[in-house]
Amino acid sequence: MDQLLNIPAILAIAFAGSILVFITHSVFPKLRTAIILIFTILPAYLVWQLPADSGLVHFTLGGFDLSWGTNAYSRLFSLLIAGIGVLATIYSISFMKKRSRLGFFYLAFLTTISAMYGIVFSQDLLSLFFFWEIMTWASFLLVIYYSFEDQKAGIRYFVFSAIGAYSLLTAIVYLYSFTGDLSLAATFKVIPELDTTQITFITILFLLGFGVKSALMPVHVWAPDAYRSAPSPFTALFSGVLSKMGVFGMGLVLFKFMGGLEQGHIIREILAWLGGITALLATFYAIFQTDAKKLLAYSSIAQLGYITIGLAVGTPMSVMAAIFLALMHGIFKSMLFMGIGSVFLQTGSLDLNELTGLIRRMPLSFVTVLMGIITVAGVPPLGGFVGKWLLYESLITSEHYFLVAVTFISSTAAFLYLYRLIFSIFLGQEEKEFDHIKEVPWPMWVPMLILASLTMLTGLMPGLFFEPIAEAMKFLGFQQVNWEMSVLFNTWGNQIDLLAMSTSIFSVFLLGLAFITWKNYKTTRYVTTKDIHTSGEIPTENENLTYAVDFYRPFERAAAPVFKYKVTHFYESFAENAEHLFDLLRHVYTGNAQTYALYVVIFLVLLIVFSGWIFGIQI
Amino acid sequence: MELNFSPVHFIAVPLFAAFLLPLLGRVSQKLVTLVPGVVLLYLSVVAITLFPQAYDTPIVEIIAGWRPPFGITLVFGPLAAFLVTMITLIGFVVWLYSYRFIIREPLEKYYMLFMLLIAGSTGIILTGDIFNLFVFLEITAIAAYSLTAFLRDHNGAEAAFKYLLIGSFASAFVLLAIVILYANVGTLNMADIALRMGDVPDKIKLTIMILFIVGLGIEAELFPLNGWAPDAYSQAPSPIGAVFAGIVVKAAVYALMRVLFTLFDLPTSSHFLVVMGTITLLVAEMSAMRQQQIKRMLAFSSIGQMGLVLVAFGLGTKEGIAAALFLMFSHAVIKTMLFFSAGYLVFFSGHKNISDLEGMGREKPWTGFFFSLGALAIIGLPPFSGFWAKFYLLVSAANASHIFLIALILFSAIIEAVYYLRVVGRLYFKKFNDIEIRKTPFTGLLAMGILAIVTLVIGVYPDFIHELVLPAANELLDKAAYLQYAMIGQ
Repeated sequence: MDQLLNIPAILAIAFAGSILVFITHSVFPKLRTAIILIFTILPAYLVWQLPADSGLVHFTLGGFDLSWGTNAYSRLFSLLIAGIGVLATIYSISFMKKRSRLGFFYLAFLTTISAMYGIVFSQDLLSLFFFWEIMTWASFLLVIYYSFEDQKAGIRYFVFSAIGAYSLLTAIVYLYSFTGDLSLAATFKVIPELDTTQITFITILFLLGFGVKSALMPVHVWAPDAYRSAPSPFTALFSGVLSKMGVFGMGLVLFKFMGGLEQGHIIREILAWLGGITALLATFYAIFQTDAKKLLAYSSIAQLGYITIGLAVGTPMSVMAAIFLALMHGIFKSMLFMGIGSVFLQTGSLDLNELTGLIRRMPLSFVTVLMGIITVAGVPPLGGFVGKWLLYESLITSEHYFLVAVTFISSTAAFLYLYRLIFSIFLGQEEKEFDHIKEVPWPMWVPMLILASLTMLTGLMPGLFFEPIAEAMKFLGFQQVNWEMSVLFNTWGNQIDLLAMSTSIFSVFLLGLAFITWKNYKTTRYVTTKDIHTSGEIPTENENLTYAVDFYRPFERAAAPVFKYKVTHFYESFAENAEHLFDLLRHVYTGNAQTYALYVVIFLVLLIVFSGWIFGIQI
Repeated sequence: MELNFSPVHFIAVPLFAAFLLPLLGRVSQKLVTLVPGVVLLYLSVVAITLFPQAYDTPIVEIIAGWRPPFGITLVFGPLAAFLVTMITLIGFVVWLYSYRFIIREPLEKYYMLFMLLIAGSTGIILTGDIFNLFVFLEITAIAAYSLTAFLRDHNGAEAAFKYLLIGSFASAFVLLAIVILYANVGTLNMADIALRMGDVPDKIKLTIMILFIVGLGIEAELFPLNGWAPDAYSQAPSPIGAVFAGIVVKAAVYALMRVLFTLFDLPTSSHFLVVMGTITLLVAEMSAMRQQQIKRMLAFSSIGQMGLVLVAFGLGTKEGIAAALFLMFSHAVIKTMLFFSAGYLVFFSGHKNISDLEGMGREKPWTGFFFSLGALAIIGLPPFSGFWAKFYLLVSAANASHIFLIALILFSAIIEAVYYLRVVGRLYFKKFNDIEIRKTPFTGLLAMGILAIVTLVIGVYPDFIHELVLPAANELLDKAAYLQYAMIGQ
């Protein structure tokens, strides 16, 4: 019984923590740090201790029956929230040290984490929506944290979130009027009682709602600016965990709700294609970016596209791939944002054209970003490879060959922006202005390296993740998925022993490195910067001429015609036209008293003249 | 000491105080500011004491010994209890805010008119006699007109004039309706009228109803009768704006609903209410988005929320009406808080336009905080009370299969989100570097704090209010029960 009390306790502690920090933040700064840590680590610990299948806590609120509880699927996501949440919080303490309005920052930060716990522990639709909305406004507050210009990004984020959330609300209210039961269990069983139009309608609403948070095209337009504007510790959480709430929801809808539906495969196909387009286009947009955070934002959108493909295809292996990629993305994207955040903290810049040559100054950040890049690229021996491999194989075995091509193109194109990221920031020639840069303090690089080692661990022993994922998939309705600790099987009976493979790669690499270093040590020389020749023009002092500037100019020029039509333009013109319409409407209120009197009289006359049509009796 | 509380106190005490205040003003200004607070505190106590009793068996008070249907009765049932308690509590908070806010004019005038507003509004809700309803409507209206022009500036005078002009239409139509009604049923007691309505020919009944709808609809801010409202709300002093939004319009909506539900059979007008309510909502929200002045924006937002309330009433089911009452309560609390904080923002910065309020959130952190809280609450976000209000409404709408209505309501919610969050964003960025800022009065902060706590508490535990609105909704719907206890002596 006392296990059942854990969930309300977790939520209570988490929310209390956010309020407490807000209240005490200006009073005792030292105490504030302690409070933040306690109220983040304690719930995380309790979440870790939760059994996979606790019972349900039932209670009534406002006349509705609500229930909270966990299952294997929720537990998986809750562990993700707990893990990344704690690491991001530790990172943020150091990152935000000299900033202002910290009470506000931590209120929103901790509230977001608490709300996410609430979402995964909800076993009824109302609680889910309740916490979903709290998560939305808390994250909104952080998007607008820095400056006025970010306000537009924040409002765009809120509007799209609201569209998604209200789609959810419509579906929830409609289902409730039909079944009279808000619990998820009842919702999952309702499909046989509905007709096709109803099912399509509700499913689309649900998918829209969850799709907005997962930055699926075409409702992704809020993501790049929102991720960019939010402070980096929060973006780590935002991109790493918050977007997974959308994935969480989609999983529930696609498998528990739509599970037995025969026509379901049409919706799944469309969703898979949307995922594919998202992945492809987002990757290309990432290549164009010169702002490191926006680049990573588009990269996130692309990764979420892969996850959506995996979920939508719906075979055991693809779902395993999708959830595995989701977890991996949580890890490596947070890691990347933390790394970039560290660079931002020390240099004050995120512009890829400006930064250069930081590898010697910030070696730990370099290692973090390097590991992140390798994982995103899906190259062994890190964890991303496992996920990508599973995805490819599942797509091939389910005969979605075209999607394989799309995924492959975007995966490969990803190399371009990934390389640019690490090259522009860390490699290349060193600049004098960055001479004073130091590495970030330990509360920042420890979480980064922890996450980096996790990517390595999952690359060698993916079974660590496979087990909880398989349990989660059992909840979703899949039979036993074939997995083993560090060996990947495929349907043709071949296998790769990851441990052996990685060990061999590493040893070769290390031996090669040792050999080259030994061979060339005596003949190393230092290269001067700006060994550049120009013809005719003398570049000005502040013009950045490092190799990385305009890296992909030819590519951009070639691809420009394709990317002329952005869906953002569509939304913006829609909003503009709407505002024009509203402006026309508001002129109804002319400000002239006689006009208003006229309205009254006309209204009365109309009511009398049309009374037959309106009220049924004609005067 | 046996305290004999009676519903008459709700009307008599503020009325008496209103007329006493000018006399007190000759003695001491301090008394003038304190007496209304005492009055409202006393009324709150009365309300809370009578509350359980009213929910058990409605209290019917006969005035001056004339039994109905000849005399005037006050009916203090669950609905009246809920609304009157809400009014007294909001009134008390408004007094708290006005205590240091109103400092310019002769204070007696302000507080006297304020007391008249309270007396009038509670009178509208309590009365069981239709002509008495008209009388209290007039009292409320006159006090409202005067208070609109209180700041004695050009805009205030213009706004008051518009209010007066349109309000006169309201009075005229309501009076006309009452006259025709009396001529046909021969009685002024609402319960008695309800009994005899069956004998009135249909066409005459409809004419009376239309006159009531237009007349009371003007006060209840129905579209297109609400042109006066934006001006009145924004040009009146901020606490009065709060009173209009939180008290006066609620009384007017109550009057309209009491007339429609108890005197007439609602089904004939329910689709009408839903449609007109939706139009009110949409036009108001869309107009609000284009506003430059913050108080005008809040005024349009209020009109929109009232449209939502009318839609909820129009649904005609018990849960629909319960949702309407919950919305009224939630809106009263949150809108009052918004008017208070907007009032301070405008007052301390000296600017009315939203674009000139940049950075005020940093100068006045608590005021900015309360405004932001109010903005989030009124959009309908959890964990504030507005969320539950909207949710109940949407559930009722879904049960009545009005899916398109749900879409429109949520569409307007998105518009609301945009224009409120725009203001919130502006408050916190850029430095405000105009004039020197004085300290915010503590009483004002206390008033806003109380409201914020209420909305948060109800948001986390809506059962408090939910359990109260269900019997109240029942009372409105259950005509037979109302007739039974309101018609004592027959």
